[in-house]
Amino acid sequence: MFNKIKEKLVETLEIAEAHCDGPCGVYDPAQARIEAESVLAMTKKILDLKVPESGDAKAQAAYNNTLTRFIVIKEERAELAKHHLMVLWTDYFKPDHLAKYPDLHETFWKAAKLCSSCKQEVSLQHAQELMDAVKKVHEMFWDSKGKDVAWYTAS
Amino acid sequence: MDRLVVTVLFLFMENELPQATWKERILYFFGRRRGFLIEGNSMAPTLLDGDAVLIDPRATILAGDIALAKHPYKQSVKILKRIDKINTDGSFELTGDNEVESTDSRTFGPILSKDILGKVVCRLK
Repeated sequence: MFNKIKEKLVETLEIAEAHCDGPCGVYDPAQARIEAESVLAMTKKILDLKVPESGDAKAQAAYNNTLTRFIVIKEERAELAKHHLMVLWTDYFKPDHLAKYPDLHETFWKAAKLCSSCKQEVSLQHAQELMDAVKKVHEMFWDSKGKDVAWYTAS
Repeated sequence: MDRLVVTVLFLFMENELPQATWKERILYFFGRRRGFLIEGNSMAPTLLDGDAVLIDPRATILAGDIALAKHPYKQSVKILKRIDKINTDGSFELTGDNEVESTDSRTFGPILSKDILGKVVCRLK
């Protein structure tokens, strides 16, 4: 009886959160790099896509389908790149890192902005700048862990 | 050996927060204490998910105390962490006892004194 009253009482209490991040502690800028590479690849593919001659309905449908797929993939991958960058920025990097990397916030802020630009535009320049920004993140990240990990790309 | 050290530490930390006395319960009844249910394990092993505690909103907060605070970016969320350090500007550095899993001042920076809501004084269950 007493325990039931106690349980009911506890149910009425406010919540104090003592939540935590994923406990694995595993981070790697490679996730952002793969997505940024996809953005660059899709941007190139969109720019290289040949517009069919007018009057060819079948070719026009195929073109529309391919172009739409390329745009959707570019959109998705840019969003994923931004997500992975934000995770590194807000979860991995700590205030202490700022002393060693004073341009840390500027680098991530620009990289996140470039992800948005790559969604809004079909810009080879911005897609390449996103790759450069991710490379800079890669260098800061591995330096902060005291590991010498060479930059590489999958494509 | 590690197990022994952890067990001793656990027992020591258990004693840090006593069970609520009748006096504390009466103070709660009269609104001088506030009750909170813990969600999450960032304060393990001191406080575990599902534990309930009483907060003294008027207590002086010192380094080493467990405090309730407003989340700096989500003002409706209340967080419970240990005061690691009090900065010279009066702000507080909060850290979870379970440092590996905790999201705290190491991630979101110091907490302003106006956002400290009280000190944990005892456990209800």
